[in-house]
Amino acid sequence: MTSAILQAINGISLAALLFLLASGFTLSFGLMRVVNMAHGAYYLLGGYIGLSVARATGSFAAALVAGGLAVVVLGLAVDRFLLRRTGENHLAQVLLTVGVAFVIGDVALRIWGGDFLKVPVPVSLRGAMELPGGLVYPTYRVALILLGTVVGALLWILYRKTQIGAVVRAGVDDREQVAATGINVDRLFVMVSALASFLAGMAGVAGGAFLTLYPGAEWEILVYALVVVIVGGLGSLGGAMIGALVVGLLDAYGRWLLPEFSYFVLFAPMALLLLVRPRGIAGKDA
Amino acid sequence: MTADALRVRGLAKEFGGLRAVDDVSLTVGAGERRVLIGPNGAGKTTLFHCVSGSLRPSAGEVVLFGREITRLAEPRRTALGMSRTFQISNVFADLALIENMSLALLGTDRRKWLLHRAVSAFGALRARGMDGLARVGLEHRADEPARTLSYGERRQLELALALNTNPRVLLLDEPCAGLSPAERQRISQAIARLPREITLVMIEHDMDVALGLADRVTVMHRGKVMLEGSPDEVQADPEVREVYFGHV
Amino acid sequence: MDRSRAVLALVALAAFALLPFAAGPFWMGLATQMLIFGLLALSTDLLLGHAGLFSLCHASFFAVSAYTVAILQVRYGAPTALAAPAGLLVGTLLAAVFGLAVRTRGVYFILVTLALGYVVWGVAHRWSSFTGGDNGVTNVPFPAVGPFRIETHTGYYYLVLAVIAACALAYRALVRSPFGLALRGIKASESRMRSLGYRTGLHLYAAFVLSGAIASLAGVLYVYYNRFVNPVSASFPVSVEAVLMAIVGGTGTVLGPFLGSAIILGLRNWVSSFFELYAAVLGIVFIATVLWAPDGIMGLARRLRERAGVAPA
Repeated sequence: MTSAILQAINGISLAALLFLLASGFTLSFGLMRVVNMAHGAYYLLGGYIGLSVARATGSFAAALVAGGLAVVVLGLAVDRFLLRRTGENHLAQVLLTVGVAFVIGDVALRIWGGDFLKVPVPVSLRGAMELPGGLVYPTYRVALILLGTVVGALLWILYRKTQIGAVVRAGVDDREQVAATGINVDRLFVMVSALASFLAGMAGVAGGAFLTLYPGAEWEILVYALVVVIVGGLGSLGGAMIGALVVGLLDAYGRWLLPEFSYFVLFAPMALLLLVRPRGIAGKDA
Repeated sequence: MTADALRVRGLAKEFGGLRAVDDVSLTVGAGERRVLIGPNGAGKTTLFHCVSGSLRPSAGEVVLFGREITRLAEPRRTALGMSRTFQISNVFADLALIENMSLALLGTDRRKWLLHRAVSAFGALRARGMDGLARVGLEHRADEPARTLSYGERRQLELALALNTNPRVLLLDEPCAGLSPAERQRISQAIARLPREITLVMIEHDMDVALGLADRVTVMHRGKVMLEGSPDEVQADPEVREVYFGHV
Repeated sequence: MDRSRAVLALVALAAFALLPFAAGPFWMGLATQMLIFGLLALSTDLLLGHAGLFSLCHASFFAVSAYTVAILQVRYGAPTALAAPAGLLVGTLLAAVFGLAVRTRGVYFILVTLALGYVVWGVAHRWSSFTGGDNGVTNVPFPAVGPFRIETHTGYYYLVLAVIAACALAYRALVRSPFGLALRGIKASESRMRSLGYRTGLHLYAAFVLSGAIASLAGVLYVYYNRFVNPVSASFPVSVEAVLMAIVGGTGTVLGPFLGSAIILGLRNWVSSFFELYAAVLGIVFIATVLWAPDGIMGLARRLRERAGVAPA
């Protein structure tokens, strides 16, 4: 019984991480109709940069911010000089951003090497803590769940309760109409894109402290994030939350119960969803 | 059952809270020329979508030559004799005109599933395609891609495609929209010449064209059928004049 | 038009046939790879260039058929006459299952196939008791059917060349058939096709399964050439490179994917001899192709011809 609960918490902590990554991806698509396959590479790069900053300064907070900001800069450059030229051609966007991801991955390999690296967990979050009910669980993962929840709550409030959020939501539904009301759509796009990049980079640092960073991780995490987005529906923030929970829990239980087939367990529900609701739980039109 | 080509009963289509089509019933006899008129937003095109199968109605039923087709997928309705044109020309822009025609001709032909014989080897098919193009005056452009056509020429191709699926009931959605007077003449003549084996239901804004071709007219307004009658009856009705002509 | 293409094809065939005599084993090996991966690229192009579907999971069919052949021959001692068709069958069956993906369109289809591709990679990677994990399956023998034994690389090269030539002809017939035209119609306007009476979902599903079969054939050819298979064959880079080859060479054509395969593989060989960041170079090729040559080499050639005043294709 305790094992089952422990696995659930494992799943939720992974879900928190996946949500950080998937929320940016899904909002980018919903608002800007952009599919950015380099999101996994953003995660990895952010993680590596955070790692170097953490080693140099000893501060995890600095690492989080540095990782996030570095990716914001990179992301803006990619948007401005490359993605802008593809319009709404999804095929072109996919190929372009895969190319960017290949470049980032290879450069990262040269700089940080091929070993499995871990971002050092801050001293205050090391070890384990006791949860209500007597369960003992790694403190860092609990902190991660908190981080994911806080970010999720903030995003939700921003999205649902503020004027900016209302504009973004309107833009997700009908971009031309928003532009017609005189709002600077370009600036809006830049802001949302920067936010998505920041979250990805920050996720890399956060994730790099309990999953490791290594060449290839950028694709593995991207695939997980994509399943989250498929299950939750492209363009839906709420969907990303639900999807992250589904994927996180399935992964945890899958690894525990059927380690050799854990990938299969993860994707089986996606296949089922394809049969029943090809648009995902709450998706907008692709 | 009956000789009615198309029967629509209690059809409704809702989008969110909006009833685009609200309890519409109409019956079109075999061989009839029925024209559907009404101001923009009256629900005419939505009705067409429900009849042709590209939209699922929220309520009601559609019956084609005595056979209920309400839940049938669009391609199956075409196989049963339904055909339509679109309000915004929907042709295969990247394909040659003759390829456009071949696709139309093969749509209701089992040979569309052949995997090994080249389409270009089907002599009779090509001849029929060229015929179809000739009837709308486009045969000399047969090998050019459809995207090189002018707006008016696209409308013609649009009609030619719908005519080549062996239709028994043809839904024409504003076939003359946006055309020059000469082009309008040409298309309405082509439509007038269609054999009575094909039942026509046409949405049209041009009153001259509409009243010239119609056996009966159905007037729609805000998703409902307002009035139905002969062209003269409709033209004389004061409510119709207000609703429809008042908007022109 | 057709005649000059036919001449070009014959010249190419002759060049390939004479290659082993003109160049050494290194070039012959490269040419074998180019043909095999060209076939894989061709399989993705049936979907992309004709039906308009961008699939990122074709390495799955490629790898699954390769693994089937390898496991049957190496672990169970099955003869080629059984293993090769089995490989083809299993890969095609997987395509029949993954074909569910055609219930989606556009971006969703891309993402779903990406994820499905990962399932196979993940299984190959983690189910080590069956697949050999990261080490894969090694020591696959040369193919042998009855009295026909391939015993040299040269012999295998000619076998591959013959199979590819036959495939290319069959594929050409396929894309020129009513079925091929229907796919292009769906790509141009699916709504129009449905109103004309085509059950588009069924057409796309059939195309997906057919393309999976072609990819599986490439996998069978691959495993006998490489003599071993590991999870890398099922990985995302293999799938996406196959599509890139089709694009670089020119989608919608028969020669394009093979041209693209030659360019990408040639580039890899050339670059990795003096520069370590090969993946980055490939990434730049992706970016450059998208920005400046979306029609690929064949498209570029066509545009040059049109500009030179020769009649349009």
